[in-house]
Amino acid sequence: MPNRKYAVFLLALLTSAVMVGYYVYSKSVGHTPLALSSPPKGGDFTATSNQGPVSLSDFKGKWVYLYFGYTFCPDICPTNLGNLSAAYHQLTPKEKNQVQFLFFSVDPTRDTPKRLAEYSRYYDMNLIGMTSDKANIDHVTQQYGAVYAIHREAKDPDNYSVDHSAFTYVISPQGKLVTQLPHGTDAQAFLQNIRHNLKTQ
Amino acid sequence: MKWFNKTLTASLVIFGAFTFSGIAYATAEPEAQKITVSNAYAREVPPNAMASASFMMLKNSSGKDIYLVEANSAAAKTVELHTHVHDNGVMRMRQVPDIKIPAHGMTMLQPGGYHIMLIGLKQPLVSGHQIQVTLTFKDGSHKTVEMPVKSVMGMQMQHHSM
Repeated sequence: MPNRKYAVFLLALLTSAVMVGYYVYSKSVGHTPLALSSPPKGGDFTATSNQGPVSLSDFKGKWVYLYFGYTFCPDICPTNLGNLSAAYHQLTPKEKNQVQFLFFSVDPTRDTPKRLAEYSRYYDMNLIGMTSDKANIDHVTQQYGAVYAIHREAKDPDNYSVDHSAFTYVISPQGKLVTQLPHGTDAQAFLQNIRHNLKTQ
Repeated sequence: MKWFNKTLTASLVIFGAFTFSGIAYATAEPEAQKITVSNAYAREVPPNAMASASFMMLKNSSGKDIYLVEANSAAAKTVELHTHVHDNGVMRMRQVPDIKIPAHGMTMLQPGGYHIMLIGLKQPLVSGHQIQVTLTFKDGSHKTVEMPVKSVMGMQMQHHSM
């Protein structure tokens, strides 16, 4: 009988060892947690567009919708920008003049200012594509509580994805970060948010 | 012992016949034939974009789980199966080895989730064009799907009308 107890104990020990092992393994495999630094303060920043340096403060007096992404992104970024564009097209000409959209690429290796300009033009709204060096990108994303990480699986040096926060940051005409809208916000919700903000400014 | 040998021989013959017919049955009904594809499309992308994605609904009419293991297309240099992991507002795009289509069930390849990633586009994907994507299932059978290229901006309206 003591032998059996011993065996049960051994088995339990082994099982838990496997569980711990699996937990450690699953944590280590492509799933490094990205800490969302909170609460985000927002604030001014400068980055490079195809037209030269652009600062958030250039748009004082307008509501700014800021999105961090990358042009290689086949789905998440186009969905969000497409929804923003659909909302923008329902605005009156006067309303359109009061909003500015910024696409800040966290992938400066592939996203040149020229590529970003072409990409931004496609969405047919007041959208400026911009990027910067890694140090400044890290600084600005931290200001806004956004996170990103390069994720590489293939050997091809140009084939990698970038994990990124998919929020749209809403900034008041005074340059203050007001709120962040989650991924999946549809055109109607963006439109409501823009109209609400334009009324209450 | 003669009867024993006879029985054994007979059993072997019957067993062999079963096995053979089993193989014949399997080859006659490739997995690709049990999959119905609907609402397939590829996303229009801005000029000079490096990548796009293809989405569709896959329905499995068989009683067995079927796995999509590969996709190919002349439209792109590399084609991969991907999913998105949503993690506290952070989107992580990950390659997956296969996409399961459950027995008598369906799997959606849709924005924000599973998609066929088209990497290194050979020509811009423009709305109104058609592209072909060939799906390969675990048993090696193929299915070629012809799909339109659709604009992202129009998707919002489609979503509401569905």
